[in-house]
Amino acid sequence: MTMHASRTNSSIQSIVSDVYLRSPTRPTRADRPLSPARRGGMLGAERRSPVTTKNRLGDSGVSRRDMIRLGAGGVGFGLCGGIGPVPYLLSQASRAAAATQSGRILVVFEWFGGNDGLNTIVPYGDATYYKHRPTIGIRERDLLPIDAHIGWHKSMSGMKHLYDEGKVAIVQGVGYDQPSFSHFSSASFWHTAAPNSGNEYGWIGRTASALDPAGARPNMIVNISDSQTLAVKAEKHVPLVFIDPMKFQRGVFAQEKAALDTLAAQHAPVGDAHRYVLEVTRSAAQASEVVRAAWGHYKGKDNPDLRLLDLDKVAALIEADFPTKLYYVPLRNSLFDTHVNQAAPHDRQLQYCSDAIAGFFQEMKRIGRADDVVMYVYSEFGRRVPENTSLGTDHGTAQVNFVIGNAVKGGLYGKPPSLTNLVLGDNLENTTDFRQVYATLIDEWMGADAVKVLGQRFATLGMFQAGSHA
Amino acid sequence: MATRTGWSPGPAAWHDDLAPMPAAEWNYDRAAHLLTHAGFGGTPEEIQKLADAGLERAVQSLVYYESIPNPKMQPFVESGLWDPTLNGFPESRPEATDRAEKHGASMGIESKPSGNRPVQPVSDRFFYWLRATMLETRRLGYWWANRMLQTTHPVEQKMALLWHGHFATHENKVRDYRKMAQQIDLFERGATGNLRELTIKVAQNPAMLYFLDAQYNVKGAPNENFGREVMELFTMGVGNYSEKDVREGARAFTGWYFDDLAFKVDQDKHDGGVKAFLGRTGTFDGLDVLNIIFEQPVTAEYLAGKIYRFLVRDELSAELRKKLGAVLRDHHYDVKPLLTVIFSSRDFYSQASYGGHIKGPVEHMVAMMKHLGVDTMPGVPDFNQSTIAMGQHLLNPPSVAGWAGGKAWITPGLLIARGNVAREVLIPDMTGFRDWNFSAGSDDILGRRLRDGFDIGAATAVNDPSNMSAFDRVALERDEKFNTRISGYVGWEQAARKLIPTPRHAARFDLTELVVQSGAKTTSEAIDYLTWRTLRVPPAQAMRDTLVAFLTKELGTDNVLRARTYMEDPLRITMHLVMSTPEYQIV
Repeated sequence: MTMHASRTNSSIQSIVSDVYLRSPTRPTRADRPLSPARRGGMLGAERRSPVTTKNRLGDSGVSRRDMIRLGAGGVGFGLCGGIGPVPYLLSQASRAAAATQSGRILVVFEWFGGNDGLNTIVPYGDATYYKHRPTIGIRERDLLPIDAHIGWHKSMSGMKHLYDEGKVAIVQGVGYDQPSFSHFSSASFWHTAAPNSGNEYGWIGRTASALDPAGARPNMIVNISDSQTLAVKAEKHVPLVFIDPMKFQRGVFAQEKAALDTLAAQHAPVGDAHRYVLEVTRSAAQASEVVRAAWGHYKGKDNPDLRLLDLDKVAALIEADFPTKLYYVPLRNSLFDTHVNQAAPHDRQLQYCSDAIAGFFQEMKRIGRADDVVMYVYSEFGRRVPENTSLGTDHGTAQVNFVIGNAVKGGLYGKPPSLTNLVLGDNLENTTDFRQVYATLIDEWMGADAVKVLGQRFATLGMFQAGSHA
Repeated sequence: MATRTGWSPGPAAWHDDLAPMPAAEWNYDRAAHLLTHAGFGGTPEEIQKLADAGLERAVQSLVYYESIPNPKMQPFVESGLWDPTLNGFPESRPEATDRAEKHGASMGIESKPSGNRPVQPVSDRFFYWLRATMLETRRLGYWWANRMLQTTHPVEQKMALLWHGHFATHENKVRDYRKMAQQIDLFERGATGNLRELTIKVAQNPAMLYFLDAQYNVKGAPNENFGREVMELFTMGVGNYSEKDVREGARAFTGWYFDDLAFKVDQDKHDGGVKAFLGRTGTFDGLDVLNIIFEQPVTAEYLAGKIYRFLVRDELSAELRKKLGAVLRDHHYDVKPLLTVIFSSRDFYSQASYGGHIKGPVEHMVAMMKHLGVDTMPGVPDFNQSTIAMGQHLLNPPSVAGWAGGKAWITPGLLIARGNVAREVLIPDMTGFRDWNFSAGSDDILGRRLRDGFDIGAATAVNDPSNMSAFDRVALERDEKFNTRISGYVGWEQAARKLIPTPRHAARFDLTELVVQSGAKTTSEAIDYLTWRTLRVPPAQAMRDTLVAFLTKELGTDNVLRARTYMEDPLRITMHLVMSTPEYQIV
């Protein structure tokens, strides 16, 4: 296995070979052919072919100019175990070493705030629903029916459309036993997949570890947020966390550039907090350059639906061929916590979300990655069955989850929760443990060991098309 | 040059030991550590004063600050944006315009008797207030930041910042800068007083009552939001009460509300029945419930732990937490004795407490000013834009849980933002700066069109109909009784006419002066001085060498006095390098 040495600095070349030789996983197929950066943009513009591309490891083709542009700073760090502080060149090599379902991507879209599942997928065929919700219950004329029993809230035409194309799995009654009614506690249970318990790492972080135990692959996880979500906290992978690609760049004067590159991360850690900041510093500098380059090339920037809810950033990175497998997008400025006067804010929030998701999958189609991308939508709890006296609903329990993508076998999953046998006062009893949905995504889609990630076996739901299994 | 006391963390054995540090162990570095954690750090002169006072008097002067004069504190000067017709502000634009259609007026504005868009002025008024309170709150944040910087009572301000994040409300929902100002005052006055009394005052505070939907918490229909957060976030933490306690507690608070800025109880809405709460039974009201909460041992531990983690370091053992809780409880929730214990303790000066705290953005920015010798927060860059970029919007925490703090302050994006903010402070972009208080954002284009002579319909038309988001489509189909998009723009303009502009001066400091006064003659000595002044974690040799090489190259000499006439900007860029390092982020 030789690297193209013609334009590379020999010392960097030898380090790259070291990385490859040290990597525990041998590639069977590269996910994306690596195109020379000089063709335009650091990440190249070569169109990808489906996952059965031959091994292209030998053709890194990164120009000397690019390595100088990135600075030799990365080389100076040494190859710290598993953190992935590697400059672009090394990330390409290790990207080519991907051994799993190469192109597959999971995008988690968290509808924080406690979405009222009963007014999202509405059981209009059940009279009890209207008994509990005489005022805020959604009338049949305001629905997009699925069948004689349930229908979509009318603001969700985008998702209904996808559903009609067979691309949306609706899972009803998702929750967990002894549910928490606290936003923060319940969200943390979902983030860690450890209800009424705890885990240092998030389920997405642990999935990354399962996919890449050495932690050698950088930018496995991207979190579009201004602060890191617990779900993505990983043992060895430093999630790439940012909100605005345009602001995600170091403002540097020309004369200080070289010094700035050298200065980062020269210190031995004086403690845990320092160690953490050092790790993030290492990944920040390189990450910002590639993110900005990706954003600069993104052709869907003016899509107004995506822009609202940050899914455009995900689309940009996917279009730029980022090595990321796991994206996590929490909803910002959520209106879902509808304690009071629910109708208008819920309507609006569902519309924004549905349009954003529909727009996102149109983008995936345009980019040619629609087969590779699956989106998962959940909320940390649903809402109470009866309406309250403020024309809203209080915190509840089980709710509806969505799994969306070409690879998904669309339809209804899970048993609808009972509206008559309520629990904990006036709440839905969950019929599917959320970790079953997680297990389905981890195992059937990402091809990782769900038992390892979740700590026990959960029956999967058979949500994916035949042939897309591991 | 005088030798400077270096980084001197105490022995590892001091970890978790609350016994006082021996007086002989006091030195300049420990004084710097104290001022950095108890407050926002200080200039070498401020630190030297503490160093000279000895441990006991230093701690005492910081904690028992009331008698120290505080000459620079000024009351907040309002822009005059509020008037009484805005009392009882509607919760939504539909409510505002519905009220006008029903009653002919809303928020002091009457609807037009005839003509197109008869309710437009009411819609404009609604957006006027949204903009006005948001803009005035920015001024409030800037005013508060200056208090943090200029106060002679740093512990008071540091603790006020803690309480703001702990008893968190955000102006975005409260929509009344006056209520936010009221809270700042409450947190300053109650900063180091009695915690039980502070909590009671918070539970009766209009901003908090509104924020947690207290007006919907009425007899027969208790709303749990308030009761839940009081227990979960403000006092005990999850796991120390049951869901039943939440519901029963909510009943006790029914009828608690406010009239403008004054707390009041509406007895008709109050559920006076018997409640079972945390093992006690009685016809409790909110005050009783709070007193019962403060009888629980866990409350003292929860609050003491919060204080400790905010001031000292993230890592806190269950054992130490218990000890801290005992101190707080033994003093009936008076905070000053707890602070005295903490600031005097071996644990506070132990290895674990050195470098264990990642400064939050507001704290970081105030400290930066101290490092540079700045005595007024600059207007360029904008304080709020800077701290927002770094992940903290003062007076607008993301939720009632406040800011997570600790490692949550550092992500790749946020870390890069810190370096960028430092650059903007050191080398501000004076000519490129655009004052966001006087820009209507995406609505600016409406203003241009109106001024160019377009009518409202044309002005609000989107350029490319095929490129409209769903929201835009809905906006175009707006009721012809009013046009919301125009209101968003007009509201901003109306608020901007009254808004007092924030002065847009650069940060005033002189690094050349500081370096020369320090006695430094070479670039090595200059770097040593500057890093000593600004970093708690001393620089690694390699970093020092890089900085010296950089400065020498920029100056064209290693002789600082020779370069003194042109040294300022090179020194500033050097400081940018320092402030971008991981070491600068932690104390």
